[in-house]
Amino acid sequence: MNRDESRNELGVLRIHKNVISSIASIAATEIEGVKRVGRSKQNGLVELLENKFFSVIKVEINKHEEVKIQIPLIIKYGYNIPEIANRVQENARLALERMSNLSIKEINVNVQGIERG
Amino acid sequence: MKFFTVLGIIFYAVMIIVIGLALIVFALNLLLPADINNLLIFAQSSNNSRLAMGLSGLLLILISFSFAQIILGKFQREKTIAFTTSSGQVTISLSAVEDLIRRLAVIIPEVKELRPNVVANKKGIVVEMRVVLRSEANIPELTSRLQEITKSKIQEVLGVDEQIIIRIHVAKIAHDEKDVRRKKDFEKEDYSTMPFTGYGRA
Repeated sequence: MNRDESRNELGVLRIHKNVISSIASIAATEIEGVKRVGRSKQNGLVELLENKFFSVIKVEINKHEEVKIQIPLIIKYGYNIPEIANRVQENARLALERMSNLSIKEINVNVQGIERG
Repeated sequence: MKFFTVLGIIFYAVMIIVIGLALIVFALNLLLPADINNLLIFAQSSNNSRLAMGLSGLLLILISFSFAQIILGKFQREKTIAFTTSSGQVTISLSAVEDLIRRLAVIIPEVKELRPNVVANKKGIVVEMRVVLRSEANIPELTSRLQEITKSKIQEVLGVDEQIIIRIHVAKIAHDEKDVRRKKDFEKEDYSTMPFTGYGRA
């Protein structure tokens, strides 16, 4: 299933996974200490292909319409990683619940690297 | 599983099956060396077939390269430190910890170069550092300071209570170019200001 779907009297509302990943990405970058959302610098070709065909944020929606998200992050040097990760999780949860009314099961943060701010 | 990983696995399975079948056919004498020769001659006969072969070769190299990168990247990503919060799991890639340690070289001026390798096992977090120091640095004092700074930085940034073992290997003591230049300038100056120099005994 690629989209989260809900029905009302007028028709069907579908939210694409890319929308969920965009909301989560913006919410993550709002937090001070987050350099960017994505993986650490890797091979140019692989990075290009991955960016072209896949979103860096993985979104899974199960049968009960519960959303599970994986956010890879690069954090700025000098910030406390658990604190930043926690704030990213909270902000992404708030943003997703506010904008999409989805039920968020898990927001997994994967810190991939540290870069100068 | 990712689309590219599935594609890569299918591709390699098909390739190995084709090679296996070709060997079986060759072993059963169903394919003669002359047939292979004819096929190769035919493939080389026209420009179009040569171009197709060249492009296929290039594509195969690109697929192999990308697949290797994805697999290696996956193995690399699996090396993480993980903990759970109320919203979900947080995993910290060990390469992120290595990035953090690498930044310490900037803080300590006596360290010219620092290459960390971080391993997380049952004992805790093991950090192995290969350092290049600038000359005139007191090694025992410096390494002890580096161990303390690294340990406190990891604890502060990662917020982990696990044991942190730090091993330092001083690989090289590099001469600081500034020091060398200053010494040379001093010697030159000293020599030129010395009175009655340059006279030999007759």
